[in-house]
Amino acid sequence: MPKLRSDTLHGTLALLVLQTLEARGPLHGYGITAAIQSSSAELLRVEEGSLYPALRRMEQQGWLRARWGMTEKNREARFYEITRVGQAQLARERATWDRVTEGVGRVLAYA
Amino acid sequence: MSWLRRLVNVVRSDRLARDAEREMSFHVAERVDELVAGGLSEPEARREARRRFGRHADLRDRVHQVEVLVWLESLVADVRYALRALRANPGFTAVAVLSLALGIGANTAIFSLINAVMLRSLPVSHPEELVQFVMGSGEEDFTNPLWESIRDRQKALEGTLAFAERDFNLSSGGLVRRAPGAWVSGAYFGVLGVPASRGRVLEPRDDVRGCPAVAVLGHRFWQLEYGGADDAIGRSIALGGHPFEIIGVAAPGFSGIHVGRLANIFVPLCSADVLRPGSGLLDARSTWYLSVFGRLGPGVGLEDARSGLARTSRDVFTAAVPTHWTADRQREFIESTLDVLPAGNGLSSVRGEYRSALFTLLVVVGVVLLIACANVAQLLMARATARQHEVAVRLALGSGRLRLVRQLLTESVLLALLGASLGALFARWSSRLVVGFLSDAGDTVSLDLSLDLRVLGFTMAIAATTGILFGLAPAWRSARVDPQSAIRGAGRGLVGESRHTLGKGLVIGQVALSLVLVVAAGLLVGSFRRLATVDPGFRSEGVLVVSTNWSETGLSEDRQRGLPREMLERLRMIPAVRGAAASLVTPISGSAWNDYIIVDGFAPQNANDALAWFNAVTDGFLETLDTRLLAGRGLTPQDKEGAARVILVNETLARRFFGDGSPLGRHIRTNVHDSVGPPMEVVGVVADGKYRRVDEETLPTAYVPLEQTALWFPGIELSLRLDAAAAAVMPVVTQALAELHPDISLEYTTLSEQVASSLARPRLLAALSGFFGFLALLLAVIGLYGTMSYAVARRRNEMGIRIALGSARSGILGLVAREAGKVVTVGVVLGIVLAPAGTRLIAAFLFGVTAWDPVTLAVSALVLTAVAMAAAMVPAWRAATVDPMVALREE
Repeated sequence: MPKLRSDTLHGTLALLVLQTLEARGPLHGYGITAAIQSSSAELLRVEEGSLYPALRRMEQQGWLRARWGMTEKNREARFYEITRVGQAQLARERATWDRVTEGVGRVLAYA
Repeated sequence: MSWLRRLVNVVRSDRLARDAEREMSFHVAERVDELVAGGLSEPEARREARRRFGRHADLRDRVHQVEVLVWLESLVADVRYALRALRANPGFTAVAVLSLALGIGANTAIFSLINAVMLRSLPVSHPEELVQFVMGSGEEDFTNPLWESIRDRQKALEGTLAFAERDFNLSSGGLVRRAPGAWVSGAYFGVLGVPASRGRVLEPRDDVRGCPAVAVLGHRFWQLEYGGADDAIGRSIALGGHPFEIIGVAAPGFSGIHVGRLANIFVPLCSADVLRPGSGLLDARSTWYLSVFGRLGPGVGLEDARSGLARTSRDVFTAAVPTHWTADRQREFIESTLDVLPAGNGLSSVRGEYRSALFTLLVVVGVVLLIACANVAQLLMARATARQHEVAVRLALGSGRLRLVRQLLTESVLLALLGASLGALFARWSSRLVVGFLSDAGDTVSLDLSLDLRVLGFTMAIAATTGILFGLAPAWRSARVDPQSAIRGAGRGLVGESRHTLGKGLVIGQVALSLVLVVAAGLLVGSFRRLATVDPGFRSEGVLVVSTNWSETGLSEDRQRGLPREMLERLRMIPAVRGAAASLVTPISGSAWNDYIIVDGFAPQNANDALAWFNAVTDGFLETLDTRLLAGRGLTPQDKEGAARVILVNETLARRFFGDGSPLGRHIRTNVHDSVGPPMEVVGVVADGKYRRVDEETLPTAYVPLEQTALWFPGIELSLRLDAAAAAVMPVVTQALAELHPDISLEYTTLSEQVASSLARPRLLAALSGFFGFLALLLAVIGLYGTMSYAVARRRNEMGIRIALGSARSGILGLVAREAGKVVTVGVVLGIVLAPAGTRLIAAFLFGVTAWDPVTLAVSALVLTAVAMAAAMVPAWRAATVDPMVALREE
């Protein structure tokens, strides 16, 4: 199993993608970037160069399922959908994120 | 899990690349739409989208890296490329693969023999715990009382077993039908951990005095003789004419613990009373015939066992001491020690006899492999020059040098693997051939040559090593090419003067190594020839030897003693039998009888000085064998029981014991276990003859009349000198002896066969070394031819210019010949220097010639030089006959 690099943003990206797909249902790659951009009120922007490798990785680990489908504009696109395993992973990632942010917050406040 | 998918994706990479491409295009299209909607023009939007997307190719790469195991993918690509390259040059590939196949195959064959004979463990449970008992003096044989004493008294080992290998006669009377088997102790199967596959195996309760006659069959024997039928259990099998009840079949794959000999039938030790009634074997305190093994308990080491045995050894030996020995010898016996040696790979006479020969052969085939590798290296280097252009282009386009080296090495290793696969087939066939050499008429050697992990691993390792060995140098040199000059040179091959030196060095090495092998082959073949033509002191052609055994006849002892004469009477009446005689042993048969003798006036320097070798014979024996009588008289029918005791001696015995004077009229007495026999008068002196082996120093031999010896024997050897072919006479002899008594068992061989089979090992060495020497020569010659061709081809321009400028063709010939001559001479000289070191290895196998025999050395050097120069001159001739216009035009 390829060990994910301990790159916070990297792990965060997985969290964002999983949450987006959980909340909005199946999306294609472009749709995911647009969704993250809009729900973060333009605070976060995903680099395509990081997104696609991450999507592949998550697909391999079984957190996502991918299918080819048609968009409203009749273009062929690859849609990603979260799986049961992915949902469990999402819960785990959220818990980790909460812990990390709380911890960092405390350090910044009381250190 | 994802690792596995990445592995699989290696083969799906095309499809994945297409998918990724489609996905990216879609994303870009969406982005462009968005930007256009935000106000940019189409072309600007597209540019912006591209920029944001980053370098397309880069992204695709990164996705790709997640999707596949990159190293595996590049390896697969390398292999595909290598296969294409090999297919494009079928001639080169064929020669390379064939050379490697022969080299690797030969190595694998010899190694699988070594594995079968020496390394393979017995198919029993925990073979590493097995040990063999030996006496402190090194004796490996035990008496039955001594074995029983060990079994009952020792406490150091978990279990002990004893066995004696015996052949059983499955027919009753007439022609013998042999089945090899063993007498084993009751705990044999238990200690070895070999279960039954049908019925039951022997248990300790089966091995007590007066036991019923039961037998356990070997699995393969049961399949062959009884068709694997279940109702074989309970049936009766006749061994030596005695009925034995079959109580079980051993587990498959087990055939005794003597490597090289399949044991088919196992009977308990106590059945000696049934098979050899009246011999009192089980209580004989000085008949040594059992091998004793044991199993160390878990956690018990050899040293623990030894000290444990030492504690009980006094009791053990006291209980079994031969009471008829002198007090001194008895005391010595009681003080004997017991030792245990690791025996995880069983007993083997084949091993002892052939061990050093096999290792020597391994060295020989190793050298052949080196020569083959040198050949392939040369081929690869020649090809590398042709591919310089391609390599330069690849380097210029950004390929890493290491990557290039790796790709070239892949080619080499692939060649080696192809050679190894072909070689493995060759090895299977040839190792069976070699085992055939080891077996002979009387004694079949059966070895388990099945491919096991060790042999497979060995082959793979050799293949990989040779691949890297001969591939590294060319690959490294290729990668060091400077792209610019190579492309400019456009394949003219200007680079590589130094490469030429390496090529020359390789050829010199090959020539030297082949010379060493040719010398070795010459010495071994010469030794064998000399052995085969040594004068054995008798004439072996046309002599039929009949081994008779009358122990199944149930005749009285008196009748038995008269049998030899009765048999001879009948046989001498057969017209084709010119001469017939009986003897206890025949020459070169593996059987021998020796005793110490006492001669007045002779003082032995040490114990063995007084040892003489004996044979008990009837009249006519020496005439039948055509051994000359030198003085006095031969034996006559008057020298029978009750008459004056006489003896014949050979020259060596006469010289050793009687000095220069005539031994006629003097007396000899035997000294057997300190009891001195009656004096025997020397009445004749015969010519020296070989007794046990053809290559021995003649032993002092004496012949006593058969009817005057006190020895008891259950059978006799009849030697018949025939006027017709043996095959024609055999049925007549069988008939004649069957009329005498139907239960006399017979076995036939000829004296020539008997002598020939004693030469099995020298024959093997001569044949194999001859074959490998020839092979090495062939490979070296091919290598030389290849190098010279290549060198000449490279200089075609130069040659063409020379000829055009007026040089005579003979001048060209001379030029090339000189170059070739230099290389060959250096190689031969190097070989002559190396040869003595190499032949020292085989010194033990030589007969009648020393390891540094100058004649063999000189002849080999001459032959090698002649053949090598001939090979080199062919390309030279082609060079000299080149049309200068053609050569010059070819840029």
